[in-house]
Amino acid sequence: MPLPRAASACLDRQAFAGLAARLARDLDADLLLSGAGWPGEEACLAGLGPLAEHVPNPRDPKPGLRAFLAAHPGPALGFLTYPLGLDLRGVPSAKPRALPPGLFRKYAALVSWRHSDGRLDILGADPGLTRELARLAAAPPPLPAWNPPPKAPAAASLDRDGYMRAVEQTLEHIRDGDAYQCTMSIRFGRDFPARLGPDLLLRLWLRRPAPFMAWFRHGPLALLSVSPERFLRLDGGRALSQPIKGTASCLEDDPALAAALRASPKEDAELSMIVDLMRNDLSQNCAPGSVRVDRHKAVFRVDRLLQMHSDVSGALRPGRDGADLLLDAFPPGSVTGCPKRRALEIMERLEPHCRDIFCGCFAVLRENGDLDSSVAIRTALLDARSDRLDFFAGSGIVVDSRPELEYEETVAKADNFLRLEDL
Amino acid sequence: MRILLADNADSFTWNLEHLLAGFFRARVEVAPYPPERVRDFDLLVISPGPGHPREYPAYAPLLDSGAPVLGICLGMQILNEHFGGTTERLPGCVHGRAEPVDLGGRSLRVARYHSLHAATLGRGLEVLAADAHGLVMALAHETRPLIGFQFHPESFLTEDGGHCLALAARRLGLS
Repeated sequence: MPLPRAASACLDRQAFAGLAARLARDLDADLLLSGAGWPGEEACLAGLGPLAEHVPNPRDPKPGLRAFLAAHPGPALGFLTYPLGLDLRGVPSAKPRALPPGLFRKYAALVSWRHSDGRLDILGADPGLTRELARLAAAPPPLPAWNPPPKAPAAASLDRDGYMRAVEQTLEHIRDGDAYQCTMSIRFGRDFPARLGPDLLLRLWLRRPAPFMAWFRHGPLALLSVSPERFLRLDGGRALSQPIKGTASCLEDDPALAAALRASPKEDAELSMIVDLMRNDLSQNCAPGSVRVDRHKAVFRVDRLLQMHSDVSGALRPGRDGADLLLDAFPPGSVTGCPKRRALEIMERLEPHCRDIFCGCFAVLRENGDLDSSVAIRTALLDARSDRLDFFAGSGIVVDSRPELEYEETVAKADNFLRLEDL
Repeated sequence: MRILLADNADSFTWNLEHLLAGFFRARVEVAPYPPERVRDFDLLVISPGPGHPREYPAYAPLLDSGAPVLGICLGMQILNEHFGGTTERLPGCVHGRAEPVDLGGRSLRVARYHSLHAATLGRGLEVLAADAHGLVMALAHETRPLIGFQFHPESFLTEDGGHCLALAARRLGLS
């Protein structure tokens, strides 16, 4: 059941950024924001006044999630954590977890903003709340001036030697036939004033937009995500995944660099593996003969990086739904490795840290059964109790990976994510 | 026709299910390893999967049951080891690449994902296809309905998965 429309307005990007930051900072809004300037721009969403919350049951998550979605009006916004993926795939893990397995919320009010024409809709049945939102939207507070916090040293769960050892052990598993590809990550932590989280996200949304951005609160913790990658979309019975493998730094569109990315045998093989893996994960719930690969090795630019990806799509089998699609394919194959379960086991043993939200997903589950979701990479966890920011970076390990280069790539990804000075 | 697809916790199993269902116009039952002794199936397919054939001892009685068996990647290596063949590391591995192979009178590009290979051939088996370096790409038993492919007919990188299944069906007496 949809939420009723209460009010509409027209806002430019700058004004919406100010409004969204204010909603997240002072009204505890959760945000799922689509960044500008990529082919799949969607509406930006803010959920306010949680009506109900749902934590998926790791042993059997589908019935509870379906019941929750049916019990309340409007779309659900939320996330699934990587450790839930370990539970679902039967991989034991005793590492302490900062978050519940996942969390979905339904809201008393929803704010939706469109890139194409700046149209803002306020939806909801709570007159007090929708009136307050209309008042804020009529004169949005500007985004506060950005005073980046002082550079703080980052602690890492693996140092250079430790990371290279883990990669070397992963390579032995690959040579033994345990996996074709794994991912190896590092968890970093640094001081960061948690109250600046919403401003940071909206600053990034204006200056360095990524296709899938998120802000989600859970008690004293908040999740901040700047992801370039779609995990799964379901639209009228058609499922789509857009796995990314292969990145190159570039400040502006560069056809020669894009061609070099497409021509690289290593990147080609990595992407092909993940395309076959995502074909598999869609095929479990899609009709035989309906799964196809389009725009293989397409390249797009986001936040100074070229990204190579493919479109994998299929038609849902009769009797299957978004809960089947999302939970059977979780965690996202592009950040696990292949074959998935053995890769998860190897990474669980070799990484000293818990990934928590990293490599999980953010999702909107719509009232008509459609959904859209991102792969939670370039994602951080903020703790208001300690003013600490934990963030993660990793890289895909394949047989011809060189440990020192993978370490450098992982640290470079982390540095890029935390370049806060020039926003 | 009933097909049992034994899944070795692999990530390409459902691709294989789609290919088999489309080619044989049959119901494909997917069962996790170790598969129970299912009575009335017409074809057992052993999926790809992680690790070494010795990790999968439960297939031995099924391979001796007389039922037709198609093994893919690890599945082919399991067939080969069952008859005394050996499996060794392949220097450099081949992961996510398509390479030409002569199969059933035709050259076609097939997807390869393997770190290990059939180093010596089991008793009673013959090589149906090899790569440019002589590595076994397809093998079959000389007298029993058993066939294996080292490559992945279900991959989007494989030129014509149907051609591979047609060859298997002929060899197994299913067509």
